[in-house]
Amino acid sequence: MSDFWWSVIDPVQSVLDGMMFGSIYALIGIGFTLIFGVMHKINLAYAAASIGGAYASLAAFQLLSAPALVVFLCAAAASGVIGYIVYICCFRFIPTERPLATLMASVGMLILIDEVVVHATAGMPEPYPAMFDDVMIDLEPFWVRGDLLMIFALSVIAMLTLLYVLYRTRLGIATRAVAQQPSAAQLCGISQQRTNAATFVITGALGGLAGAMVGASVGILSPLLALPLTVKGLIVTVIGGLGSIPGAIVAGILVGGFENVFQYFRGVTERDIYVMLLLFVFLTFRPQGLFGRISTRD
Amino acid sequence: MRKLLTIAAALGVAMSVGTVADAADRTVKIAGFGAMSGVVRSFGINTEAVLRAAAKAINDAGGVKLADGSMAPIEVSFDDDRCNAEEGISVVRRLASGDAVVGVGPTCSNVAEPLFGILQAKAGDEGDSGLQFPIFTDTAIKGGLAKISEWAFRNVPNESQMYKSLFEWLATQHPDAKSVYGGVEEDFAHSRFTWYKVMKTRSADAGYEVKGESKWLLNDTNFTTQVREMKRAGADIIAISAHPFTTCGVLKEMARQRVKYKVLVGLTSSSSLETLNGCAKQAEGIIIPTSFAPVNPDAVAAADAAAALGGSADLHSAAAWEIMMILKDVIEAAGIQATADSVAADRQAIRDGLASLKTTKGLLGEIQRTDEGEAVKPYVYVHAADGNWAVLHDPNT
Repeated sequence: MSDFWWSVIDPVQSVLDGMMFGSIYALIGIGFTLIFGVMHKINLAYAAASIGGAYASLAAFQLLSAPALVVFLCAAAASGVIGYIVYICCFRFIPTERPLATLMASVGMLILIDEVVVHATAGMPEPYPAMFDDVMIDLEPFWVRGDLLMIFALSVIAMLTLLYVLYRTRLGIATRAVAQQPSAAQLCGISQQRTNAATFVITGALGGLAGAMVGASVGILSPLLALPLTVKGLIVTVIGGLGSIPGAIVAGILVGGFENVFQYFRGVTERDIYVMLLLFVFLTFRPQGLFGRISTRD
Repeated sequence: MRKLLTIAAALGVAMSVGTVADAADRTVKIAGFGAMSGVVRSFGINTEAVLRAAAKAINDAGGVKLADGSMAPIEVSFDDDRCNAEEGISVVRRLASGDAVVGVGPTCSNVAEPLFGILQAKAGDEGDSGLQFPIFTDTAIKGGLAKISEWAFRNVPNESQMYKSLFEWLATQHPDAKSVYGGVEEDFAHSRFTWYKVMKTRSADAGYEVKGESKWLLNDTNFTTQVREMKRAGADIIAISAHPFTTCGVLKEMARQRVKYKVLVGLTSSSSLETLNGCAKQAEGIIIPTSFAPVNPDAVAAADAAAALGGSADLHSAAAWEIMMILKDVIEAAGIQATADSVAADRQAIRDGLASLKTTKGLLGEIQRTDEGEAVKPYVYVHAADGNWAVLHDPNT
């Protein structure tokens, strides 16, 4: 194949890879956006809790030699528990009229979770199980990584499950009610604190799955992952529109794709500059993001 | 008269007891520092374990002989610099205001470079108010840093020489391999320096065609684009200048994309347990030059002593063992007093002693010392075989 064709194929392949990887960003973005939607607060410890959950699930892998799928579910469960702890420590008892206090508490929690992981593992990268990591689907001239496809599929299933919970269950109705009219929801007998705690557990579980997907896609886990995932999650949340779940999904996949395009054309050292520029463009020209709307909360 | 004699005798006894107590109380304080938190924590853990193990070995053998002929034990402390320049400088300023006679560290080159800058550049220069505190570095490996200050010394391997020798040896072992392609962690000082200034130039010097390099960042997780570039280049030798986390990520991606190569070369810092822990299967066969391997009784003893204290002796931490043994010899030759009043003089004596060294004893053989405070250490080539590091070739034999 001529160089010209490679110069066409390569960027397309990069975008495909990036979009599939972007499904992980989408999961993280959903977590940020759901918590913001319900509590109007940013939980900066969210991505760190996701990686923490993935690390906790390593116990199932290393001690019980559990299969990858079980390890992923353990990551979701562990991250759900961490999510609840984050809620209790950083949000539950801090008055709602002090948003900066909760923000700083979550920053502290991010650093704390990161350091706990570092101390528990001495900062060593730990191998993480993957599914279909040796499968490469050849669609000449393109190819699709089996594990990324699986990650994409799992992420889509998780997102659909979340949407089902939000729109078809009592818990979802309660969550949306608290997000839209907390006072009215409380008058209807919906416990605001219980709903908030449930939101943290559900988003925590989703984040744990995202953390596990990152570990599975690289094949190893490192405490290095928490901060970049936090940044990507926030970018996705802003671009998608604060509080919008479909926005987080679309933005996650878009950011993943754009990231690889920028890397392909401008190199790895400039990649993040352009991703940040994209964020500034949205903040300037469309601050409500792709799917955001003016808040209707009291 | 008898009364006077009794008083004189009592005073004499009291003075002699005091002198004995002073000697017993004196310790030679050596201050280790390095990364004990963050993602390079394992380096600090290993260095601390090795320093303490070496101190224990020295103390078990009687300690260090001081200027007055008495023996004093070595006392090791260890501080965390978080692999952060400001933190490292703050730690060393604090140590310099204490009673430690020498510092051993830091872990990271990005700490060592500015840190050496706050030391007095030329020893004895009264116009320079820089710190007069000798620092002996075991890990920070970026080339040519010790020349920043005459108070800075390093016992790190000379990567330029190691890779020169490695590529020349590979040319004899794999005559069919003609080209090299690099993979570099762009945002890490050591990895970047080693690819652009060492691996790339040394492989070209050895007659290889350098076909380019793929770049990634220290905390990247997606290497598909870079590995595709690597595969497209079709080089015979792939040289990866990156630390274990991304090295493993790239190696796994190379396996997925079925990148073919004849030889795989890695960064010195990757010849550690971390790489095998992260991706032993994919790293199988990777060749790395290293200045430490447990290939003789001394090296095995050092590795065992470090393991007993919860550390692992590798090319970085084993240098700390050598540093402790060098310091023992220098301290005994310089004749320090190790008293509260002699700290400045003791530091000066240790600096002068280190600066005058031409050769020292190392775990793999004799180490040459340069006028710029650097070491030229013996080395071997190791490769990953069946989940372990095994010596592939010893250029000294």
